[in-house]
Amino acid sequence: MSDEINIPKPAGIKVTIDNITIEVAPGTSILNAARQIGGDVTPPAMCYYSKLEGSGGKCRTCLVEVAAGSTADPRPMPKLVASCRTGVMDGMIVKNITSDKVKDARNGVVEFLLLNHPLDCPICDQAGECHLQDLGYEHGKEGTRYQFARRTFKKEDIGPYIQLHMTRCILCYRCTYVADQLTEKRVHGIVDRGDHAAISTYISKAIDNDFSGNMIDVCPVGALTDKTFRFKNRVWFTKPLDAHRNCTTPGCCGKATLWLRGEEVFRVTARKDEWGEVQSYEGKPGWICNTCRFEKKATADWTVDGLTTISRHSVIGANKYRTLDMPKETVSAVMNGIAPKLLMDIHNISEVNNPNIQLSDIDRPATGADFADSAQHVAGKGESSQWHSGPNTDKG
Amino acid sequence: MGKKLLLAKADVPGIRHYEVYRREGGYRSVEKALRMQPADIVEEVKKSGLRGRGGAGFPTGMKWSFLAKPEGVARYLVCNADESEPGTFKDRYLMEFIPHLLIEGMIVSSFALGSNVSYIYIRGEYDWITDILEDAIAEARSNGWLGKNILGTGFDCEMYVQRGAGAYICGEETALLESLEGKRGNPRIKPPFPAVKGLWGCPTVVNNVETLAAVVPIINEGGEEYAKIGIGKSTGTKLISACGNINKPGIYEIDMTISVEEFIYSDEYCGGIPNGKRLKACIPGGSSVPILPANLLLTTAKGEKRLMNYESLSDGGFATGSMMGSGGFIVLDEDQCVVRHTYTLARFYRHESCGQCSPCREGTGWMEKILLSIEQGKGKMSDIDLLWDIQRKIEGNTICPLGDAAAWPVAAAIRHFRDEFEWHVNNPEKCLTENFGLRHYADPVHVPVTA
Repeated sequence: MSDEINIPKPAGIKVTIDNITIEVAPGTSILNAARQIGGDVTPPAMCYYSKLEGSGGKCRTCLVEVAAGSTADPRPMPKLVASCRTGVMDGMIVKNITSDKVKDARNGVVEFLLLNHPLDCPICDQAGECHLQDLGYEHGKEGTRYQFARRTFKKEDIGPYIQLHMTRCILCYRCTYVADQLTEKRVHGIVDRGDHAAISTYISKAIDNDFSGNMIDVCPVGALTDKTFRFKNRVWFTKPLDAHRNCTTPGCCGKATLWLRGEEVFRVTARKDEWGEVQSYEGKPGWICNTCRFEKKATADWTVDGLTTISRHSVIGANKYRTLDMPKETVSAVMNGIAPKLLMDIHNISEVNNPNIQLSDIDRPATGADFADSAQHVAGKGESSQWHSGPNTDKG
Repeated sequence: MGKKLLLAKADVPGIRHYEVYRREGGYRSVEKALRMQPADIVEEVKKSGLRGRGGAGFPTGMKWSFLAKPEGVARYLVCNADESEPGTFKDRYLMEFIPHLLIEGMIVSSFALGSNVSYIYIRGEYDWITDILEDAIAEARSNGWLGKNILGTGFDCEMYVQRGAGAYICGEETALLESLEGKRGNPRIKPPFPAVKGLWGCPTVVNNVETLAAVVPIINEGGEEYAKIGIGKSTGTKLISACGNINKPGIYEIDMTISVEEFIYSDEYCGGIPNGKRLKACIPGGSSVPILPANLLLTTAKGEKRLMNYESLSDGGFATGSMMGSGGFIVLDEDQCVVRHTYTLARFYRHESCGQCSPCREGTGWMEKILLSIEQGKGKMSDIDLLWDIQRKIEGNTICPLGDAAAWPVAAAIRHFRDEFEWHVNNPEKCLTENFGLRHYADPVHVPVTA
């Protein structure tokens, strides 16, 4: 033992992940070391959440191959290991995307996760910021080999703020860790076991505490969504703004992301980092309270700090530029200043899209006569309708 | 007649109670052990070559020597009595009829490991055995074998029985510890192992009932004497719980030198197969070990006689061998359907998966559904390959060994009985009314001649 004390401790531990060597602090997990490298070598993580103690190890998407345990003991590890819960050793060699075994296992895990998933993305509020969507996109296969009915659950109402869709849940346990670590007393948990295990409040019916909304932020899928945002908008149509307010709730950081469409705040969330986790401020995770999240839905409640930086790979990032450069109008230059002549404005002539006329009520092929009345009616007050704008009119 | 160490006195009337047990030489090992150094007891167990009797067969002495011993931190011994593996019922017998043997073994082991509070975690369904054990603990305490300052040596030891709530997963040692702490019985992610961070975050050893009971004869007779019984690394005696299509189902103590054939057919043990039927297959070590057809069960792929011990049963790896496991010996005669049998096991593992990690939670249910459709004559030929692929993706990718335990029976059934699965697919009507039968499963194994 005395020998060990004399040797100065190495400043960092060298670990090689997919042939990239990096020096990290002792006690770092393989996943966090890979996150420091970033990019493709970072294994996906569905259940691990660096801000939640004890999380990880369950979803098995972050499995990696350890080709050499350490310099001292270079034997490979016999099984794939969960990178989120395995610490690095000096001289460890890890294979992630360079290992066929890992790819094969990960494809299997993705298949298992999607096996009973309802794939109701078109009506799911999480769509666009869903980690399972990303995972399926990157590692999933077309089609399914599952020929049986998908699992369903009895609907449960867990209160006015949070919508629970148990069919979408992947049982990552993150929401239970949030309740354990942010609130005095956890009132929900995983009940039952195996493929019928479910999130439930069991005895008390509503989850009611100041920080329950953070369960929505940590949920990697659409199992827990914001009831006040439900079916209101698609996330990719909303524009995220960083904002803050002086929140008096103890433990609330008051820093949030507002999701706007036009001037209306549709949703308030905590600010997320590049791994989809809540950002840290002064070493503490920036959780927000339910007052900030659910009650303060006007820009007047907030001091806006600026546009949120969104990865350009994200579907939410589409069309979110810091400045908008419109292409120059070239028609007049090409035509030497002559405006193009409008041959026929279909909207001035046809009224087939007039919703007042029920085509199904006409028991024969419709003719122009059927629209005659309405054409006059609409033309009378329709001068301001957008349909009357010519193609060369600047819409502004 | 093999040597009996654990069940030698099992037939003595009243052995369940303290007076008779003591009169028959009980608690001698405590008297001897408490005068020894704890490290010497561990050394004695190491010398005995005792291997964990719960299923994995890990050397007990080595497990004990891994126990961390930081200053001022309590250490715990926990007895795993959550015996729930289909086909395994040996611990039940020990605890029900000779409860003091377990308690004696636990006192010695607690002393060796420095555990002042030891627990017996018993499966919930064994509720009447809980009462038996608690009565026995009370008897031991009132006679000075438990409590403060045992035999004036200054060693304190308390013992408690905790009932599970009926979950197979709580037999996995870290799930057991979670459950013992009053939490949901989910297996923990390892490392840290219980030897470093176990019960209440303290160093803990978790041992099977039979393992702890075997400490008694090891201390009484000495580790070297114990190691003389058996062959190679299979030392001492092993309890086998035999069931299925045999004339005499029950608990047998064997000394691991007899052959599988002798065990099934001799009158001393299973007494052969009833109604003159022929042997088709056998699961030699509890439901999660690979099933073997009759020919590979009785002889190894090398053409040698297979013996009832750790090495011989696993000879040939999973390709042509199986495992000693927990000693749950399940015999299937020619009238049994391997597909239906595999489905039954898959249903069990689906029901018992804790649901914590995705491959096991989703994969076990998937395998069960496919096996049921093949069994009902609705299967496709591609389903057999699909089953193989599912089990392959579960095995080794889960938090705890339940995933492997669910995958192995399916893998072995397809490996050895693929033609029976195919027959089910090809004869969707016939398979509902009749069985595939014995076919070639008992034919002599072709042994390739090597120079």
